[in-house]
Amino acid sequence: MAANAIDQTRRMLSLVTYLRERPGARVADVARAFGISQDELISDLDVLPLCGTSFRGGDLLDIDTDGERIWWHNPDDVAEPLRLAADEATALLVAARAVSTLPGLRESDRLALLRATAKLEEAAGEAAGASSRLSVTFESEGGVFADVDRAISERRRLWIRYYSPARDQLTEREIDPIRLVSVGHTYVEAWCRRSEARRTFRLDRVAEIKVLDEPSAPPEVELRDLSAGLVQPAAEDPEVVVEVGPGGRWVAEYYPHDSAEELPDGGLRITLRTPEPASLRRLALRLGRDGHIVSPQDLADSARRAAREALAAYEEQAPEAGAAPADGPAR
Amino acid sequence: MAIAKAERLMNLALCLLGTRRPLSKRELRESIEAYVEAFGPAPGAAFGPGRSALSGPPAGSEDSFNRMFERDKDDLRELGLVIETVENLDGEVGYLARRDSNRLPPVRLDAEEAAALGLAAKVWQQARLAGAASGALQKLRAAGLPEDVDPYEAHGALEPRIPVHEAAFEPLMLACRDRRPVVFEYRKATAAHPAPRHVEPWALECWRGHWYLAGWDRDREAERVFRLSRITGKVRSRAGKFRAEVPDVVTVRETVASWAGEKADRTALIRLRKGAGYPLRAKAVGARELDEDWDELEIPYGHGLDAWLVEFGPDVVVVEPAELRADVVDRLRAVAKG
Repeated sequence: MAANAIDQTRRMLSLVTYLRERPGARVADVARAFGISQDELISDLDVLPLCGTSFRGGDLLDIDTDGERIWWHNPDDVAEPLRLAADEATALLVAARAVSTLPGLRESDRLALLRATAKLEEAAGEAAGASSRLSVTFESEGGVFADVDRAISERRRLWIRYYSPARDQLTEREIDPIRLVSVGHTYVEAWCRRSEARRTFRLDRVAEIKVLDEPSAPPEVELRDLSAGLVQPAAEDPEVVVEVGPGGRWVAEYYPHDSAEELPDGGLRITLRTPEPASLRRLALRLGRDGHIVSPQDLADSARRAAREALAAYEEQAPEAGAAPADGPAR
Repeated sequence: MAIAKAERLMNLALCLLGTRRPLSKRELRESIEAYVEAFGPAPGAAFGPGRSALSGPPAGSEDSFNRMFERDKDDLRELGLVIETVENLDGEVGYLARRDSNRLPPVRLDAEEAAALGLAAKVWQQARLAGAASGALQKLRAAGLPEDVDPYEAHGALEPRIPVHEAAFEPLMLACRDRRPVVFEYRKATAAHPAPRHVEPWALECWRGHWYLAGWDRDREAERVFRLSRITGKVRSRAGKFRAEVPDVVTVRETVASWAGEKADRTALIRLRKGAGYPLRAKAVGARELDEDWDELEIPYGHGLDAWLVEFGPDVVVVEPAELRADVVDRLRAVAKG
């Protein structure tokens, strides 16, 4: 793939500079310094001896490895540290600025990041200019974040009062935090002592938090790769089908789903899975005339019942002047 | 087997960096094995390893060599190499990458700063930017960035990630970078069908996990904000320059916040069942107890409040204003009818 050849070339250019200063460098150390696997490094080392300033002149890079250490037998000054490309400066600067806005980030880390950003901007020079065209803001609750962060580093248990939108309830639970993850919102992944299972909690839904004296003891769990998104419905979860009009197309943007078929009126028929279909009653109510639940039937019924019950409260009171009559047209 | 692209690019880079005088295209073609292997010796070349000059390169190879050479130069520029094009007295064009224009200025980062950057380099979940971020870090490593601190160790449990799920992201990022006008099909939140939009892209911003583009909408002759997930089909570049002036500060967040109803300038009065609606309570500017079942709350009234209140079903009753009350009743009726 083209992008990989560019990445590999960029890496090999840096590698040459790096190796010049470190005769006999260890494969394991170099791989770590470059953030690549040892296999990737070895494949770079396979290519380097085929490279030089002229293949006829015989001045190829004489770099070899015994699998443990790396030797460059004819080091020259061909590669000095290279200036940063616009994309490189942008990628690193935008990420650094975003991370430095994380509320609750340790102050010493934030300061280190800000210092590094300033030095990087200076070193990148003009290449740093384009980085202002990209920005990222992480959202999270500062105080909650700081407590979770502290609990993780001190390995202590947390008590939280947590809001569940599915049930519109606050529940109290004790959790053993594993890690903090920021994907748009900030979440703590933890072992929940109440449900004896791994759970993910969104920090802006934590109503109250206390760091407890008890030590945190989450069982060894394999960390999931969260690049596909935090919500990963299981195949055995019940299926829900929602039909929306054009005004309800946002549902497909907010809810991970199995499929979204276009409907002739510009709407969508969305099929999704959730462990708790009842939690979608809120969605059905919110959609109003922009959509409805097709199945399961009891979910559709519960939304209708809730709406009728809510309407009853308005009908009990005398309608205010100007309000639509109870049996008026829907539009 | 054809010589791998990375090897070819690496050789071209080393040739250009190693030379003191500009090298002609022909010299480069003769010096780099991958070119010789693919296209034969340059036309008119009197030598060539194991080849007779008479056999010559296959027809059309000149054009394909030129195309590959141009692409390779572009790829090297993409990773930051400054390649100069110089014409000599005979009108022959030569290329070189001067040391002083390619050298990273000295940058001294301590272990803490290095660890912080190490963390930042890991946050992109988009292939191009992830590659660029690690490339930047590798260049800094080569320049002596301290490496004795493992960024994960130093930062405990923090794992920020920048999600990029939208296909339109990369072409728009490049268009913003290079200030190129674009056209794309965009479906407004409530529109059934997408419509073409001609835009001068200014900046991209990620807020609450979603990407937005701010730019100049040429048809509407006004600044607009677009949500990337609503762009359907391909983003295509347009020739020519920007016509509108790019503002110094582009505020995507404010526009999006007002869509999300966060710029409330009035308040509403609601009744809320006890124990329910914690997020409403968290936003309330005033609250009092009505009786043993109900509280009364004053909450900010911005765009979208009606839809939000309806989510709480029978646990919320709007008291005033009448307009909000009517909107909520209207929505509830639509659901009640099913």
